[in-house]
Amino acid sequence: MPKTTDVVRLRVTAHRLGVRRFRLALLMIVSYLAMMTFLIYSARHTPQSPVVATDFGPAVIAVASCMAFSVILTGFFVFVRNRD
Amino acid sequence: MRIPRNSISFLLATVSTFGAGGVAYSAQSDSQIRQADFSTIVFFVVFAALTLLICVWAGRRATSSSEYLTAGSSISAGQNGLAIAGDYMSAGAFLGLSGAIYVSGLDGMFLAASYLASWPIVLFLVAEPLRRLGKYSFADVLAHKLRERPIRILAGASTIVIVSFYLVAQMVGAGELISLLFAIGYGPAVIMVGLLMIVFSTLGGMRAATWVQIIKAVLMICGSAMIAALALNRFGFSASDLLKTAEANHPNGNGIMNIHGFSQDGIATLSLGVGILFGTSGLPHILMRFFTVHDERAARVSVFYATCLIALFFTMLFFIGYGSIAILRGDATYANASGALFGGNNLAPIHLARAVGGSVLAGFISAVAFATILAVVSGLIIAGASSAANDLVVGLSGRHLDERKRLRISRISALALGVLGIVFGLACEGQNVAYLLALATAIAASANFPLLLLAIYWDGLTTRGAVVGGTFGLISSVALTVIGPTIWSKVLGLGPAIFPYDSPALFTVPLTLFVCWVVSIAKAEPEKDWQLTQPSVAQYVE
Repeated sequence: MPKTTDVVRLRVTAHRLGVRRFRLALLMIVSYLAMMTFLIYSARHTPQSPVVATDFGPAVIAVASCMAFSVILTGFFVFVRNRD
Repeated sequence: MRIPRNSISFLLATVSTFGAGGVAYSAQSDSQIRQADFSTIVFFVVFAALTLLICVWAGRRATSSSEYLTAGSSISAGQNGLAIAGDYMSAGAFLGLSGAIYVSGLDGMFLAASYLASWPIVLFLVAEPLRRLGKYSFADVLAHKLRERPIRILAGASTIVIVSFYLVAQMVGAGELISLLFAIGYGPAVIMVGLLMIVFSTLGGMRAATWVQIIKAVLMICGSAMIAALALNRFGFSASDLLKTAEANHPNGNGIMNIHGFSQDGIATLSLGVGILFGTSGLPHILMRFFTVHDERAARVSVFYATCLIALFFTMLFFIGYGSIAILRGDATYANASGALFGGNNLAPIHLARAVGGSVLAGFISAVAFATILAVVSGLIIAGASSAANDLVVGLSGRHLDERKRLRISRISALALGVLGIVFGLACEGQNVAYLLALATAIAASANFPLLLLAIYWDGLTTRGAVVGGTFGLISSVALTVIGPTIWSKVLGLGPAIFPYDSPALFTVPLTLFVCWVVSIAKAEPEKDWQLTQPSVAQYVE
């Protein structure tokens, strides 16, 4: 059975890790919502044109950034946790 | 071609194809497409034989419930990463997202980005504690902290509901896909897929489903890479030229490089996004994957592998989708004058494979799509069977089962779910199954995810709070989807929808969290003796 002091120490560690997790999760959610806001905004404010314009527009870059961010954050978390 | 007027319905239809193997063929089916190709049949027979061999091999090992339901937790991180990626590289993702890009450009990639963004949430919040505390289902995590019987009944009920909706969507999609690929009727197609699925899931179990997912994921990545490379080859490997040709071919011009599906209603888009973002963390067949690895280190590494592979796959879909616009639009062999593809726009990657790689590549891709359906459906059935044996039966009877009984009930449950899938699949012929998958995702986000989150990270959650909140999430998400535009207006034809949004997750997820919190703080429950000596669930996060 764990001693009271062990439990307290465990709780402190868990809370610190929990805070880190929640910060990362919030970061992901905020970045996703930012992408969504930008996409909705750009869809409403970009005039459509039949003329060929650029290769990768801002919307493509926003989607690609969100995808890349997902991979980077996942990799970062795994790297940090495996090193602990 | 104009983008569909009801943008959210279009998105939901695309979401449905993500898991359902592509369901939007019927409106444009063409006799020209309904011809079973020899190479398709050869690849199909090879794949079916291979999967059955794997099933027999795995079935010999499935002598215990842990081996049958979780492959004895002996799957490595790399294998599990491939299997998780395989769950996401469904035929629906391949066909549906490519078709969505073919129709309206970047809208399809938004969905891809949304699904990918859900994986860090899974990793940060649920993967490790789930692996450490769970054995057969996510209810194990809840039962670690809360009273077991009510929580297992609730978890079992929501799992069966989610799995059933997913299963029906898969069966209808599979029936239509196989019917098209092999030029047979819808009924025989559903029965054929259903029987294979029952044999596969009742005999082979999780190990067979995992290995088929692994093989299929590798083949799907290779096949997609081949199509994308051959499409780029047409343009001298210049992505710029490919995109410029696509823009020139599409009536929307450079508009296909922007999002349009969301321009009508931001709230509806946000709700759909919230459902996708949090729904993955509550989907039973996804959560089951974390029980197949040895420890939490393997669980988190497997999520990283899966995220990388899924991102790679979605990137190739980008080129396949835009390559379809550049190569298939205007080609009378594949599309009519208005740009609609023969057999439906979801067949864009199959047509593109035929255009750039001939019938052999098209046959190969079609067979991979079939293997995908088989593997995804088997995973769903095993998740449902696991919950039935370990949650519902234990919750209702109030006692744990011995090894033999658990294995027997799991197999009987798998058989029952398989038969249910065939019956409902036949009954739902021709139905728009978009809402089934949207509903399943919304239920997972509304009923399962809040409970898991609070059970892991909040010591104040009580059994009463979890049961009331979870029941509220389950019922509200089902009810709001039923009175939403897709079911209320389009399926049932009852006039204007009472609830204006297809996906209710934006409202039901925070409301479920709120109800859990209010009920929990309203009346604290006395801790049981063992809880006083146990570390809290949150400590297992470490």
